[in-house]
Amino acid sequence: MAPHSNGTSPHWSLKSGVHQQGCPELQVLLGITGKDFTLIAASKAAMRGATILKAADDKTRQLNKNTLMAFSGEAGDTVQFAEYIQANAQLYSMRNETDLSPSALANFVRGELASSLRSRKPYNVNLLLGGVDPITDKPSLYWLDYLASLAPVPYAAHGYAQYYCLSILDKHHQPDITLERGMELLNLCADELKRRLPIDFKGLVVKAVTKDGTVEMPFDNDRIVKSA
Amino acid sequence: MVGKDCVAIACDLRLGLQALTVSNNFPKIFQYGDQVFLGLTGLATDVSTVSDLFRYKVNMYRLREERHIAPRTFANLVSSSLYERRFGPYFVSPVVAGLEPKTGQPFICGFDSIGCIDFAKDFIVSGTATEQLFGMCESLWEPDMGPDALFETISQALLNAVDRDALSGWGAHVYIVEKDKVTKRLLKGRQD
Amino acid sequence: MDTLVARYSRPKYQQNEVFSEQEQQDLADAVPSLSLKFIMPPVAHPSAWLRAATDDRSNPSCPIKIAHGTTTLAFRFQHGIIVATDSRATAGNWIASQTVKKVIEINSDLLGTMAGGAADCQYWLAWLGMQCRLHELRHKRRISVAAASKILANLVYQYKGMGLSMGTMCAGVTKEEGPALYYIDSDGTRLAGNLFCVGSGQTFAYGVLDAEYRYDLSTDEALELGSRSILAATHRDAYSGGFINLYHVRESGWEKHGFTDTNPVFWKTKLEKGEFSNVTSDLAE
Repeated sequence: MAPHSNGTSPHWSLKSGVHQQGCPELQVLLGITGKDFTLIAASKAAMRGATILKAADDKTRQLNKNTLMAFSGEAGDTVQFAEYIQANAQLYSMRNETDLSPSALANFVRGELASSLRSRKPYNVNLLLGGVDPITDKPSLYWLDYLASLAPVPYAAHGYAQYYCLSILDKHHQPDITLERGMELLNLCADELKRRLPIDFKGLVVKAVTKDGTVEMPFDNDRIVKSA
Repeated sequence: MVGKDCVAIACDLRLGLQALTVSNNFPKIFQYGDQVFLGLTGLATDVSTVSDLFRYKVNMYRLREERHIAPRTFANLVSSSLYERRFGPYFVSPVVAGLEPKTGQPFICGFDSIGCIDFAKDFIVSGTATEQLFGMCESLWEPDMGPDALFETISQALLNAVDRDALSGWGAHVYIVEKDKVTKRLLKGRQD
Repeated sequence: MDTLVARYSRPKYQQNEVFSEQEQQDLADAVPSLSLKFIMPPVAHPSAWLRAATDDRSNPSCPIKIAHGTTTLAFRFQHGIIVATDSRATAGNWIASQTVKKVIEINSDLLGTMAGGAADCQYWLAWLGMQCRLHELRHKRRISVAAASKILANLVYQYKGMGLSMGTMCAGVTKEEGPALYYIDSDGTRLAGNLFCVGSGQTFAYGVLDAEYRYDLSTDEALELGSRSILAATHRDAYSGGFINLYHVRESGWEKHGFTDTNPVFWKTKLEKGEFSNVTSDLAE
């Protein structure tokens, strides 16, 4: 029994139920690298408990011209952390009149997340950081979890999507694929998630990073998927 | 693993979240001088944090002392750095391997996560497959192996050990450190 | 009079029966068979005690580690059913075996797959084989897959909550049913379906399988897809691996299509088709 639970609570409560978290595992993040681009996709549902609060949420932030970060995890932490990183990346770009490379940013993010991990209140955020190196034009993708484990990978996912999509990408991904093929792979992944995930994640926002910058890609989220 | 005037150090390449394999290219051996190597197993984030920390500390040592760090010195640096986190440790169990710069003698040692050094004359193992590795090393290792025999021994020990461990494997890196040469090889292990 | 009526109202194939139904039943019961009498631990709540001692998920240091961790799949297509499994048994992180037969040949027409507790699956599928044979002897015709799976589902339901752990599929092709596939688990679930994957690696297998599954697959395509799905799961799931055990079930019975080591298959798939681009095969830094 908590000290105040003798029937005369010191605070009024509106029984908001805001402490029920939307399960972070059900948020979808996907990333694919190809010949000269990195594709990042994130689910559009913003969930809290049993409710979808918003069906057109954008879980990505642009860090600089050639780098994009997608995030999932605990409500609040995600956007706070992502925008903190975004602000620092932009500050660097302004001060130095040059952009940090995706690998430099990935290691910076890892450092921030690692020091947060051993702080009193760690950020609970999983990230995909994708970009194209402004000097070498090489596409890259980094997988980071809330423990600040960092891994450079050719394709990646977070949450339950990992368990369905990594095997699909193991089979269908090649390092030199075109952007069109990359979009086909995303469709393959999205179809499987619609087929097997027990909730509706409201489709994906898809963004492509190339050496010319970041563009949002048109993505058909209304495809009807037939189950086996 | 110690040979005659040479040492070998090897690691697997898996990064996983329990059953899920996230990356198959996550080396756990880091070089801190011509003949000083550190292997780190444990929590992936701390593997990165600790390896970065020692890169910083070793670079500072080199600038101050104007010489490369010796493996024994490095081992003591590792030990005291880990003990600094006695009450909130890094979840890693490091292994140091190298050749003493003056004598060319092999040097290996292992640590627990808070810095207790375990010196050994034959081999050190760490990670999820330690039991399997002890079994393999106890039966395959013999004193005074040359670099080729040492490579074969450490490779067979590692590959066969991780093939009996669900959480490690997916390829391996092996370094053979000799007096004036370091050879790095990739082993194509089982991918299941 | 009643006995007379009963005698002549029997189906034709039973008319020259030497033993009456009751006598047959007595005979079957009298045979010392796989018994259903299990010795229980002398504690107040045997199932709770067992769970505490064997559930390594909630208690990693539990004294008895039951072997599990698996990928099994089966799917229906125009020419029958493909059944494929991996072959790894793990106890905690220890790989106890890489050569487990997770497809159980219940009889020459019916296959069962094992996922979950290895001993539970082996015992109860062997027991199911016996029940199927008894059904055949009693009724002089092959048991349907629906009936066989129901026998198993009813049996495991009797033991619900006692710690049985199994996820199994029954596959067979009969004249009446065509290709029939059932999923049964130790909760008592029994589902008919076109396509199931069971075990810790199920999602990885589903990923590959769903992407290219069609009912009108050719036999070669179906066999390739089945084995590729298992390969995908062995690669990503730490608790699946070893060999790919592949079967094709048709009306004439099942056919085995090998027990193939994943290692050469993996490298062939990677190097010839360029798949698995996440795995490094040369030392470029």
